[in-house]
Amino acid sequence: MADRPSAPELVEAVAEFLEREVLPLMTDHRMKFRTLVALNALGIAHRELMQQHAPDDAEALLRQVRARGADPALLPELKRHVAAKLRVSNPRYLEGELHGP
Amino acid sequence: MTVPPWMAEVGDVRDAVLLPGGASKEAWAVDVNGHELLLRRAAGGVIHRFTLSLEQEFRVLEAAYEAGVKAPRPIAYYRDLGGREAFSMERVRGETIGRRIVRNPPPGLGVQLAEELARVHEIPPERVPFLTASDPLDRMEEELQGVDEPHPAIEYGIAWLRERRPEPLPDVVCHGDFRIGNVAVDEHGVVALLDWEFAHLGDPRDDLSWPLPRAWRFGAIDKHLGGVGDVEPYVERYDELTGREIAAEDLYWWEVLGNVKWAVGCLTQARRHLGGLERSVELAVLGRMSAEMEYELLDLIEHG
Repeated sequence: MADRPSAPELVEAVAEFLEREVLPLMTDHRMKFRTLVALNALGIAHRELMQQHAPDDAEALLRQVRARGADPALLPELKRHVAAKLRVSNPRYLEGELHGP
Repeated sequence: MTVPPWMAEVGDVRDAVLLPGGASKEAWAVDVNGHELLLRRAAGGVIHRFTLSLEQEFRVLEAAYEAGVKAPRPIAYYRDLGGREAFSMERVRGETIGRRIVRNPPPGLGVQLAEELARVHEIPPERVPFLTASDPLDRMEEELQGVDEPHPAIEYGIAWLRERRPEPLPDVVCHGDFRIGNVAVDEHGVVALLDWEFAHLGDPRDDLSWPLPRAWRFGAIDKHLGGVGDVEPYVERYDELTGREIAAEDLYWWEVLGNVKWAVGCLTQARRHLGGLERSVELAVLGRMSAEMEYELLDLIEHG
């Protein structure tokens, strides 16, 4: 067990530094954009570190797709698999969903 | 900023600003003899596969400009500018940031985009004989294989696309990255089509459908055409000008392909960072954005 701050706490500290102290100094819009991208990257890392062990079903699903092709019966499981990735990478994406899961 | 000595060949350069961005190509905003130019010059990094050389990009720009496409006026090509290949073109005004354009798109932008695209597709291929064609599905499969990571949703998309591929249309000169973000726009509409480095020969629906995927609506997801308008008037105008009759169901197929293309594109771009070709936090994050296109392509397939 490592000493505190833990890995997610360290990521959070860097994100807060970027957001509160670095971002306000950015005048060039490209640099501002890249700082926001960096903050987004830290957000992804933080969510992933905070996650309980997620089942890694990508390989199993891939075998199914290769065996069965574009079988509509595979769609619900594929969507669940991708939705789990989105909850880490961009949880807001699912809120804007047009059709529901 | 001081003007680098190698720029002397370009003319009487008064001001030169290196714009932030790409590791494979530099972009300089330069003022030469009273003209505002953009200078594109090779940089140290490795250039992306499937992109044109700077010389080819310049030739395409010339052909497009001659054909009456709204594009930056090409000025000069330099085989050796301070030891590197480069070309200059007119620096156009107008907004290129997608999120800003979709906030308040000028009226009629969709129809204008159709008009420009119709002109692009009339560029005589013999004018740009170095352009090549490739099968988009084969290419996606090959690129995905190179990524070496399991992506069942993308493979599902490719399998679905293979099962119902529409009859191909004869190849035309395609812009290759025709979407909001690569078009300079002002309050009257299209100022110029930019970023010609992905030009190739291909099915005209390749370009026509590329602004449709959700990723290229920049958050304005209820406006199917690039976050700026409806698809119907855009396609109608394109059909009217080209004599083609593009079916909605074929565009639907191409929109699914567009999502596969950008999903795979994100993965390969992230590998430029991971493999050390171009270290960049922007490229790195793209590896995690692929999931958005994966979800969208499944949603499109499920709901039609």
